[in-house]
Amino acid sequence: MLRCDPRNPGTPMYRYDSFDRQFIAERVRHYRAQTERYLAGELSEDEFRHLRLRNGLYVQRLAPMLRVAVPYGTLSSTQLRTLAHIARDYDRGYGHLSTRQNMQFNWPELAEVPDILEALAEVEMHAIQTSGNCIRNVTTDEFSGVAADETLDPRPYCEIIRQWSTSHPEFDWLPRKFKIAVTGAAEDRAAIDVHDIGLRVYRDAAGERLVDFIVGGGLGRTPVIGETIRTGLPMAHLLTYLEAVMRVYNRYGRRDNKYKARIKILVRALTAEGFRAKVDEEWALVRDSASVLTVAEIERVEGYFVPPAWPSVPDATATLAEQRLANPAFGRWVANNVMAHRQPGYAAVVLSTKVTGIPPGDVSDRQMQAVADWADRYGFGEIRISHQQNFVLPDVPQAALFELWQAACREGLGESNVGLLTNIICCPGGDYCSLANAKSIPVAEAIQQRFDDYDYLHDLGPIDLNISGCMNACGHHHVGTIGILGVDKKGEEFYQISIGGHAGHAGQTASIGAIIGPSVSRDEVPDVIGRILDTYVALRAPGETFLATCRRIGTEPFKERIYGRAD
Amino acid sequence: MAALIEIDRVSGTLRGADAGRAGLPLLAPEAWHGQADAGLRLPGDAEPEARFAEAPLIAIEFPAFHDGRGLSLAVLLRTRFGFTGELRAIGDVRPDLLHYLVRCGFDTFELAEGVSIDLADPRLVPHLQYYQASVRDPEPAFRRVARGRAA
Repeated sequence: MLRCDPRNPGTPMYRYDSFDRQFIAERVRHYRAQTERYLAGELSEDEFRHLRLRNGLYVQRLAPMLRVAVPYGTLSSTQLRTLAHIARDYDRGYGHLSTRQNMQFNWPELAEVPDILEALAEVEMHAIQTSGNCIRNVTTDEFSGVAADETLDPRPYCEIIRQWSTSHPEFDWLPRKFKIAVTGAAEDRAAIDVHDIGLRVYRDAAGERLVDFIVGGGLGRTPVIGETIRTGLPMAHLLTYLEAVMRVYNRYGRRDNKYKARIKILVRALTAEGFRAKVDEEWALVRDSASVLTVAEIERVEGYFVPPAWPSVPDATATLAEQRLANPAFGRWVANNVMAHRQPGYAAVVLSTKVTGIPPGDVSDRQMQAVADWADRYGFGEIRISHQQNFVLPDVPQAALFELWQAACREGLGESNVGLLTNIICCPGGDYCSLANAKSIPVAEAIQQRFDDYDYLHDLGPIDLNISGCMNACGHHHVGTIGILGVDKKGEEFYQISIGGHAGHAGQTASIGAIIGPSVSRDEVPDVIGRILDTYVALRAPGETFLATCRRIGTEPFKERIYGRAD
Repeated sequence: MAALIEIDRVSGTLRGADAGRAGLPLLAPEAWHGQADAGLRLPGDAEPEARFAEAPLIAIEFPAFHDGRGLSLAVLLRTRFGFTGELRAIGDVRPDLLHYLVRCGFDTFELAEGVSIDLADPRLVPHLQYYQASVRDPEPAFRRVARGRAA
């Protein structure tokens, strides 16, 4: 059933041309020289720090960490095999899927990083601008191009932004990091309301490509829902309008305090109206520049993302129904992890990394290899990484689902918990990260251990439980329906718990969670979660989701039941 | 005296600058009233003014090499205010960041104290071409070169 050449010529994704190849090769050579100069003492620690960050290299608690860019979360099977090879040969046999759809390696040697970057360049990959105060990897809907509710495929515009933002002369030394997310579907699976810039791309009734700009959202220390400052902008102006927004931010964003340096603080200080006025004034002066996108350029990039010629497959609904009936575990997996596809007979599949005892998002070289093989065998050689830190196979024939599920179970990727409490988003936390105040991985594990009964998880329905080890909020705790934040209290790890947050998917509006009371010790976390869930079960209206209950009754009833009344 | 380097506007190569030019006095905006024998010294967060276009030299100060405000100021002076005189980067100017400065329209560079540079080092030039438009290359790659197409 192998439908793809392992080198995947037919996979619908962006391919480097000679321009991209030359640029990436030059970048690797340049960074290799910088590393050599640093190791020879010719480049200062501070200068090299900024340069290595722009090439994805952090120095972490235990070792350097290399964050490889997976542009808008899209990988070919060949690229994933290369990541497996890097995990095996340069790391300790595993990698970590990040909430920005990237892959991180926790144990590379600083001196070997140029070799890793060279191996990546061979398969059209890089680690450019995955850290540092610059425009980061653009993220998008993990079901782009296959989702049934999509109006315009966002990937071409993500790629156009990737190229425009790469080593930008003016915007590579910003006040703070800068994150852009793009969606093109009815349901926002890219959390565009909580990004520095969120873009909604679509076509109007006349077929013209348009884009809406949402600016100043974000998580971190000061969670904010973004403000829409422009709607219905013709796509030709995508880059000129971005340029105007970035110039206003680069010039006026605060640089005196890193905790007040994100664009959301500037938007708040100027008000959305004031910020929009400044951007529009700037845009009026750049809107006719050579950066206006040509139809030819838009269509050139769109050309890479034309869907594969999905061969028509026999309708497998009846067989699938039988398989689900005969095997309830498979039925559960189909219900939770298999998503609607625009092509009849096909499905998009989420392979969950959220297995009790494994840090959320961690995947072994063997698992990467297996996923790459499945992408070739069952799909079109393509894999996605979701911001929930799972793998996605975007086009699997329904008839192959049972076989894929069995294989996934053998490789530890068959967990059926997508959308459920145990599909935890979790940052690496204090086990790895030097910024963290507290560990997050053991908290995730304790929760997964406590709540392991699928009947109960199902009864609870959709819940996003997100854990961050510090205020930087890499684990998106603010937008978890249950959010857990690690805090430091006099040198001890404590956890602050919030409820009612949401990232804006499943047709809901985005919201920031509300803290329900004093922080608790790590041992207490599973009990507190248990009491939150008991409160929900006791007070929910028939058919009401956890989020809906939170929004209806507020936090007071939860506080009372968890912390008790003052009497 | 820190080293002064200039870029050949045509060839794009870097070379040591004429030492005489380095001596031109630099005045704050409020002290500069159109004198032809003095340059302007602007902090990165200065608001550009139309009259600045007449200055023979504008020096933009980088308080730290990773502070990018001076880059936007340079772009505005070049593209919006039509400044064609010498644009000099001063302050914490580092060799590895020269390529950003060049593309934003600077043409001379006074390196940070104690920083040296080997002008013959090919490693100073990271890329032959960039994706976006810049002051130096007003056309983005998609207008400038034939890009690849999907197979």
